[in-house]
Amino acid sequence: MQGDVMEVPHVINDEYVADPVRRVHDYLLGKRDQGAHLVGLYCGYAPVELIRAMDGVPVSLCSSSRRTIPAAEAVLPANLCPMIKSSFGFIRTNGCLLYELSEAVIGETTCDGKKKMFEMIAHIKPTHIMDLPQLPDDGEVLLRWTGMVRKLKNFLETVFQVEITDDRLEDEIRETNKKNSLMDRFFDYAACHPVPVHWRELYDVIGLDPVTDSDELQRHMEGITSRLDERVDRGIFFGYHDSPRVLVSGCPIGGDAAKVLQIIEEAGGVIVALEACSGMKGYSIRIEEGTGDPLTAVAEATLKIPCSCMTPNGRRLDMLDELIERFKPDAVIDVVLHACHAYNMESYKIMNHVKAHHGLPTLKIETDYSDGDVEQIRTRVEALFDSL
Amino acid sequence: MSFIGLDIGSRTIKLVACENGTVVLRRKALTSHDPLAVCRSLLKDAPEVSIIATGYGRHLVKGYLPCETVSEIKAFAAGARAVLPSCRTVLDIGGQDTKAISLNENGRIDNFQMNDKCAAGTGRFLEIMATALGLSLDDFMASALSAENAHPINSMCTVFAESEVISTIARGVSRPSIALGIHQAIAARTMTLLERVSITEDILFAGGVALNGCMREQIEKILDRPLHIPEDPQIIGALGCALIAGEKFQGGK
Amino acid sequence: MPFNVADAKPLINDEFAGEPTKRALQYIQIKRSEGMPVAGIYCGYAPMEVIRAVGAVPAILCAFANKTIAAAEAVLPANLCPLIKSSYGFIATDTCPFFALSDAIVAETTCDGKKKMFELISHYKPMFVMDLPQLPDEKEAEANWAAMITKLKGFMEETFGNSGSPARIEEEIKATNEKNRLMNRFFDYAAKKPPVLKWSEAYELALLAQIAYTRDLHPIFEKVFKQLEEREMKGVCYGTGSSPRVLVTGCPVGGDSAKVYKIIEEAGGVIVAMDACTGMKPFLSEIEEDTGDPIAAVARRYLQLPCSCMTPNMRRLNELDKMIARFRPDVVVEVVLHACHSYNIEAYKIMNHAKNKHSLPYLKIETDYSDGDVEQIRTRMEALFDSL
Repeated sequence: MQGDVMEVPHVINDEYVADPVRRVHDYLLGKRDQGAHLVGLYCGYAPVELIRAMDGVPVSLCSSSRRTIPAAEAVLPANLCPMIKSSFGFIRTNGCLLYELSEAVIGETTCDGKKKMFEMIAHIKPTHIMDLPQLPDDGEVLLRWTGMVRKLKNFLETVFQVEITDDRLEDEIRETNKKNSLMDRFFDYAACHPVPVHWRELYDVIGLDPVTDSDELQRHMEGITSRLDERVDRGIFFGYHDSPRVLVSGCPIGGDAAKVLQIIEEAGGVIVALEACSGMKGYSIRIEEGTGDPLTAVAEATLKIPCSCMTPNGRRLDMLDELIERFKPDAVIDVVLHACHAYNMESYKIMNHVKAHHGLPTLKIETDYSDGDVEQIRTRVEALFDSL
Repeated sequence: MSFIGLDIGSRTIKLVACENGTVVLRRKALTSHDPLAVCRSLLKDAPEVSIIATGYGRHLVKGYLPCETVSEIKAFAAGARAVLPSCRTVLDIGGQDTKAISLNENGRIDNFQMNDKCAAGTGRFLEIMATALGLSLDDFMASALSAENAHPINSMCTVFAESEVISTIARGVSRPSIALGIHQAIAARTMTLLERVSITEDILFAGGVALNGCMREQIEKILDRPLHIPEDPQIIGALGCALIAGEKFQGGK
Repeated sequence: MPFNVADAKPLINDEFAGEPTKRALQYIQIKRSEGMPVAGIYCGYAPMEVIRAVGAVPAILCAFANKTIAAAEAVLPANLCPLIKSSYGFIATDTCPFFALSDAIVAETTCDGKKKMFELISHYKPMFVMDLPQLPDEKEAEANWAAMITKLKGFMEETFGNSGSPARIEEEIKATNEKNRLMNRFFDYAAKKPPVLKWSEAYELALLAQIAYTRDLHPIFEKVFKQLEEREMKGVCYGTGSSPRVLVTGCPVGGDSAKVYKIIEEAGGVIVAMDACTGMKPFLSEIEEDTGDPIAAVARRYLQLPCSCMTPNMRRLNELDKMIARFRPDVVVEVVLHACHSYNIEAYKIMNHAKNKHSLPYLKIETDYSDGDVEQIRTRMEALFDSL
């Protein structure tokens, strides 16, 4: 915390506030003890509503710790995305509790690295790979993707010997929309000027999504919004009135990659928007309710996710426009994980668009999970702020 | 009958002469900018016999000296099995490159990995770090051995690691802990290289860096297996060449 | 390792001997001057039979020159496949004669790098991007790919003002099959012990054969077979009887990356099989004839191409088995272009397969188009042969 802030209670007021990892573990173990099936995921394109509609629990398996990367590099090339290496390394060293607990794994043909990494782990647990269309604006794409979603449904029903009914799916669609709306409204606080919510708190609150249902999330949100309203009333905020407001876009950032966010803060910036899947990306999407064809509805919704694996991904520029208008950043920092070709190449278009259409200065940072480049990143961020 | 092996590395040239499988002569010199001249001076007064050369400079001298060449992988495999007949894995950390070789039960090469594009973790890296700490190589090793804990270094690039060490000293961190941190970083990198070939005992540690007791300790720790260090780890390549020459030109031994 | 005679004449003995790219360029120029439109392609998945059925001639746009990479790196990341950078560099500097001649571009969503590079060139010429299924063994893959091919046909018909009937496609299917039979008869000479043809001769003919109409190849095949038969009679061969036979697999190799082939030769090896799109891969299978649905037949065959962008690509191992049985190599060398994640990750499986199933020594070479690593490659190649 910085600026005019003294000791302020965290926005979330529960026993896990100091240990969000334990919140996830306790939740999953609790669900498992109740007999729920845990299903591992690597990406936002697989509709979680299907898993919840069979009373299952979706578990994200993407890891962000550098600790397991050396083990991964005995098999995977060193020149590869650290998230893929980290995730694979955890599995290879039997060190991932979430993978251990998962009874089935879902992957998608998003990026080359993930696609080929899945081949290395497909033999360990029932693994289902979805063939993700790469041109989301194409004519019959929804039909094709709905077909893939239907195959996923068959896979889940077969592996777990359950039936996923349309009614339950409609329930879960409403659930998702409720939660997404709650989360999206929470993000309004980041749009305030100055900002009363810290970027770590943004992450912590987003972290509540996989471990709550809409009622629990609503209860949390009531406490969160009242604490934030209080901060606003009392004039408590982060940074200074003239701190540069930063929109961070690009690859998922967490764990050891969160050094970038820390550095932005230390350089005097205030993070007001997190574009990536680890941040706000999915929450602006709503699934159509009561269509009578919930499978198509969830397929259509996930296809809207503007990941760089899609081409030509015009939707990402639209989403950036929306974020810029809503959160009014002073600069955009695009974080690209080492060897991520899709985001790295797309960065050129993103940066040009932001400069040309919004007149905002931009900075691209290519990094990994090590801390060897902290000072180089710092130099660049400071230079960016100096240029404002 | 004598046979000579020459290992022409980028930093040092080693010569070994063997007679009946026993080393009768060994010489070393810095490669300098004229490896051919250095080879000639090492060969002075050496018995006039068949020569096999290996190392980065092997093709340079081939037209000028009466020698044939073998890859350093083959040379090191032969030399390692000679000094340690039960050897199944060879780790060589030389002046400017590192390699790992896995051998099957018969001593044949099964797999190999080399890092010859980057000096990180090599003898040169250690020299530069020692100098940055203001220590001789021996004192650098002793300092690391005496450390109670290690201060990790982040850079593996030789040039940037040097800068990092200097700024770390300036911040008041103790030399022993920096020294140990450097050794541990190299051991971690070495482990990755070894894992790409497969690690089976017995494991031979060759090359100049094998003389570094702290390096041996740290690699053994991370491997959780013992390393065998030959009495003269720097001549393994040249020894292998001499033995290969003996087999080739005498058809036996 | 030259031939065992000093005066082995080039198999294709025209003014372009040793310069396959120029030969291909002249072929395309002639066709264009005869009124044929040119369809630029980037990949082995582009359905040649349909391109020819609409009366066009394909032109390969994949580049193999180091000299255009610097220009590409102004826009593309340095950490990217050299083939993509080189191809883009030619376009960005407007120095690619094939691109200049192309009336339309056919692209596929194969790897991330190519996919995002296509976005950057889509404004130069009419371009059609095909959404390639990534799980070719799934039952809907063929129908989806056939639908894509139909759309491509529509795009070409509109762009070129021609039309391609099913009967024409069927004709081209038969022409391709005839071509492939001729090419395989040609490759048989490399399978002999010792081989009767050199890698560069196979490479040259393959480059032309990929784009040319079968009828235009007849005179060339006639001369080539006559010469090969003569060589065999006279006992002319490539290498010596004891040269290690090398099967090269992996990424496309050509131009500046052909340094690997030269190094293999200089180290004493003879290349007997080239398992890449620039080598034998496009010619190894036949398309079903007279099925009544030529587009489906074409789709089926192309989905069988074992590129590493497919998952789990077991077909690559099967094809490798066939090649090993046919060409009887002593070692397998895999060439992976720098930053090619798919081939690089898949190499692990290829290595295990070569060693465990075939007891063949295996070497993976990660390289690019520069000549800075020639000596390192040489050391490894010599070590590989030493281990025999």
